[in-house]
Amino acid sequence: MRQRFLVGVGTLMMVAAALVIVSRQSGAQQPTTGAPAVAAIDSSSLKGPRQPIFFRHDIHVGQKQMACQYCHYSAGVSNEPGIPSMQTCMGCHYLMVNGSTPANVVEIKKLKTAWNTKKPVEWVRVHMVARHVHFPHSVHLKGLGPQACATCHGNVARMPQVYKVNNVNNMGFCISCHLERKVSRDCTVCHY
Amino acid sequence: MADQNRSDGVDRRQFLKVLGTTGAGAAVLSGCSTDRVAKLVPYMVQSEDQVPGIATWYASTCSECNSGCGLHVKTREGRPIKLEGNPEHPVNAGRLCSRGQAGLQALYNPDRLAGPMAKNAAGKWDEIKWDDAIARLAAKIGAAHGELAVINGYAASTFSTMLTKWTTALGGVITNFEPFSREAERLANQKTWGRTDLPVYDFAAAKYIVSFGADFLETWGSVVEQQRGFAASHGFHDGGMSRAVFVGPRMSLTAANADEWLNVPAGSETLVALAMAHVVATKHGHARAASLSAYAPEQAAKETGLTAAQITVLAEAFAAAAPSLAVAGGVGAQHRGSIELCHAVNLLNEVAGNIGKTVTFGSAPATTEGDGRIQPLFDRMAKGEFQVVLVHDANPLYTLPRSGKFAEAFAKVPFKVSTAAVLDETAAACDLILPNLHGLERWDDQNTRSGVTGMMQPVVEPVRGGMHTGDVLLKVAKVVGGAVASFNAPSFEAHLKGEWQKHIQAIDFATAMREALGRGGIFAASTPNEQPRAAAGAVSYTKPTYDGAGDYVFMPYPSMLYHDGRGANKPWLLENPDPITKITWQSWVEVHPDTAAKLDVREGEIVELTSPHGTLRAQVYVYAGVRPDTLAMPLGLGHTEYGRYAKGRGVNPLDLLGAADGQGFLPYVATRVSVARTGDYQKVARVDGTPRQLGRGIIQSMPVAYAAKGMTPEESYKAAGRPTAETNTELERTAIEGWHEKQIAASQLGNYADAPHPKWGMAVDLSRCTGCSACVTACYAENNIPTVGEEQVFRRREMSWLRIERYWEGGTDGEPLQARFSPVMCQQCDNAPCEPVCPVYAAYHTPDGLNGQVYNRCVGTRYCSNNCPFKVRYFNWLKYNEVAWPEPLNLQLNPDVVTRARGVMEKCTFCIQRIRGAQHTARLENRDVRDGEVVTACQQSCPSGAITFGNVKDAAAEVVQWKRDHRGYVMLEETNVRPAVTYLAKVLNIEPAAFHGAEEH
Repeated sequence: MRQRFLVGVGTLMMVAAALVIVSRQSGAQQPTTGAPAVAAIDSSSLKGPRQPIFFRHDIHVGQKQMACQYCHYSAGVSNEPGIPSMQTCMGCHYLMVNGSTPANVVEIKKLKTAWNTKKPVEWVRVHMVARHVHFPHSVHLKGLGPQACATCHGNVARMPQVYKVNNVNNMGFCISCHLERKVSRDCTVCHY
Repeated sequence: MADQNRSDGVDRRQFLKVLGTTGAGAAVLSGCSTDRVAKLVPYMVQSEDQVPGIATWYASTCSECNSGCGLHVKTREGRPIKLEGNPEHPVNAGRLCSRGQAGLQALYNPDRLAGPMAKNAAGKWDEIKWDDAIARLAAKIGAAHGELAVINGYAASTFSTMLTKWTTALGGVITNFEPFSREAERLANQKTWGRTDLPVYDFAAAKYIVSFGADFLETWGSVVEQQRGFAASHGFHDGGMSRAVFVGPRMSLTAANADEWLNVPAGSETLVALAMAHVVATKHGHARAASLSAYAPEQAAKETGLTAAQITVLAEAFAAAAPSLAVAGGVGAQHRGSIELCHAVNLLNEVAGNIGKTVTFGSAPATTEGDGRIQPLFDRMAKGEFQVVLVHDANPLYTLPRSGKFAEAFAKVPFKVSTAAVLDETAAACDLILPNLHGLERWDDQNTRSGVTGMMQPVVEPVRGGMHTGDVLLKVAKVVGGAVASFNAPSFEAHLKGEWQKHIQAIDFATAMREALGRGGIFAASTPNEQPRAAAGAVSYTKPTYDGAGDYVFMPYPSMLYHDGRGANKPWLLENPDPITKITWQSWVEVHPDTAAKLDVREGEIVELTSPHGTLRAQVYVYAGVRPDTLAMPLGLGHTEYGRYAKGRGVNPLDLLGAADGQGFLPYVATRVSVARTGDYQKVARVDGTPRQLGRGIIQSMPVAYAAKGMTPEESYKAAGRPTAETNTELERTAIEGWHEKQIAASQLGNYADAPHPKWGMAVDLSRCTGCSACVTACYAENNIPTVGEEQVFRRREMSWLRIERYWEGGTDGEPLQARFSPVMCQQCDNAPCEPVCPVYAAYHTPDGLNGQVYNRCVGTRYCSNNCPFKVRYFNWLKYNEVAWPEPLNLQLNPDVVTRARGVMEKCTFCIQRIRGAQHTARLENRDVRDGEVVTACQQSCPSGAITFGNVKDAAAEVVQWKRDHRGYVMLEETNVRPAVTYLAKVLNIEPAAFHGAEEH
């Protein structure tokens, strides 16, 4: 219970810097997962709720090949995935990554303004299981392996704006997976 | 920690679910309530100590009494959600009492003050700024020219030392006040050994324990430590156990756990102690024998109602069992002869050779002062000798008898300041309130005893706008200057760490301090053991005198839940029933059945008690455990202020007491009262049912001689010549043949796992359980159980998933009265009667052997509860989840457990969230759950270590060893429900011949 997962800020900054260098080098290449070219600043035409900052999962995950748990680190160790702190964003965007298109520059400026004014960005929540359900992220990541995240959240590498692919609040969705993989469908595994 | 606020749009549970983030505002997109869209607000910079969904534990020290137990504070997302004992701490070794656990409700108390307040000319409170408050205090102190009085209720600590120096530098006087301060014992120690410090008592080593009024399992001394020791010696182990005897006029919880209760009139305990000392000293040829020659057992027999032979046998057994231990004191024995009593008991320990063995000097618990010091201080206030009085962490206007005119004396001081976090009686009489931070919000320490410094560190941002009183003192010193100019530390934290540096001998202080903080403090490796020198202290006995001429001796005793009254604003403590009477939320006066018949009063009838000092009205509780010539009443309620839960609840027995009689302590048992009927009734908020077991064998017991032979409870009853109930007839056995196996097979439906499932089981050793109810509070804290309040308890709607059953034995036809205690939680039956009757499959059998309860399936038919033979299913009748936790009390909720709504049946599932948590951890580490990894909340808190839990399929598990014990039995075996909880029968250290009387089976 007292197990902790500590991310040293220093380490984070160093890794972030290294990643930026790597991503710059690979910047000229075509993204392997082939994200659609979306340049619109107005994201309201896209699927999914509009976010205060047009955060591009397709760029971060698709083009830059960042691992999900780089930002959502606690999903691998805890029941709760948490939400990345503003500092995590600023690890890369503080000095170096300013956006390659004018539209992206505008969005990254919004992030920097939020950081400088100490007002955290209020993201609109996309996925949420009901209050009486306990969904341990870490155990599912362990059990499902590399494809774990996409199983419920879909291929966010292709999503300029995240939307719901599966209704994670539908118990049938959970149960069908549990049946398929022959894992427990005991009620008190999730409900207590 | 910067973002713990929430707006109205997000409900509580959702707030708890949005982890590592803050829900701020919500927009409902569709009709489905679970489909709402919330916002996720990230941390700006996430603390390295916080991972969403994983608890962070901090070590701290409890400040709910002066024992100074070590804490492990469980925090989630920056909020403390549970207090547990620190296993490394020498005082409590990982356990914690109800009062300590309820410290969380002091932190989140909805009545905490938001900031400093000043009384205006109209007598109303104005909220003021901290700068203003400190300026006002500094101005008054600067102008007081040393006419300053400080009442400090906090035990020995770096803070107390600084406050003392600060006060002295200003020319003021300070009193370290504690209401139950054991002054009589100190004065007696002066008489016996010429030293006023208190010893530490080793109950674990004692083979024979005699208590003269000292309720060592409740409020007297360091109760968690003593209870642990008592369980170690008095719990049945290695074929034997110690013997415990209680001498006094009332059967307290401590007396109920003793093997024998010697019911003697208040005051005459001294004669028993002296007679015992006489016998032992004569036998051993001790030097003190001559001075005890006048106190032969025959003398004692006259006044105590005991026989000389009884006392002689007791004394000889006491002398034969080396080492033994005699203790005296506590409020219940604080009559006018209390010094003589404690002196007599000191002599008894000395002649029996216990000094240095079970009674060790040299590591004195913190010295506090009580009535003997506070009286002269108030006398000086009345004379107008003070300009300013500062009250810190004390509530003297509540804890001192009203007849002493303390409030009037207090009012004579022109400027009165309190640091209370909640508006208590004393704060209400002040001119300025500077609310202190809670112990979990501030840097502090406690020098519990020599060699033990318990550290405290802030584990949460201040819940309300308080300021550390240490910082207030420093800021005032800065303004006042002059004599206090040397108090120039930048903050109290800096001062404290500077002091710690003197204790921690390390090159790298910062690292050493961090280690000490993680450990919970600085603990010396060995404890000193000084041999006291015998002083001449003359032996004497004077029959205690009483104020008034009423027919009954009035005996107030401290409630083990409310202590000196500070527990009365915490709903967990108010709803936790008193272990003896099982009354919640109320005051009562205990009347012996014979007295009740004589007075023609019955339970719930309101009587008026009158003493020379005052009058009060309270409801009657008829109790055979109090002498017919005595009326007893718990202290702690009857507040006139102190927040929504305490104000106006119950009555304060101190209203009947006189204030002082010059001996240097407050004699609590020194009043006679007369009783008058009023004709009014009050419904009693009791949670117990039938007071007797009626042959059902719910809590079984056996004499130690039979237990030593390895007998089962059934064999023991047969050996004692008592018939045992037939469990099942032949016909019944045929009818149920194979039923159990079929049930288990049916329950495996839906079990798709390849690996075999564990089967969870529990064992409870009733020879260790004392009924202290710490487990009940732990269960409330862990499982988000709502408190329902007095009105709902009248309707028997309390939600205590785990309760302590109390049954009485004997007490009639000359049989001694005895109590039986047992925790009763869901028994997780294999053949559970609750499961087949659920129409919606909400109550069902899990593959790991639990009686699962799916709250979101439950439609509230209550069939399951009807069918439960143990009545451990609790129905949520009203929206308790919406009223039980007014903000910020909701912050105490455990995010791992859902809060149940109205119309749902709730129950214990062996802390399933802890089971699942351990399983998840094990899964991540590619291993199985280890034995001892899942610790239920009740098991964790139990000061006696009476509960064990584990996988019964693991042959090496502790729970399996316990279940194999010959004393094991299951409750209501004849119902064939096959419970997963095994009880180990209570063992009584009595002669088998005396065992016949009880009607347990």
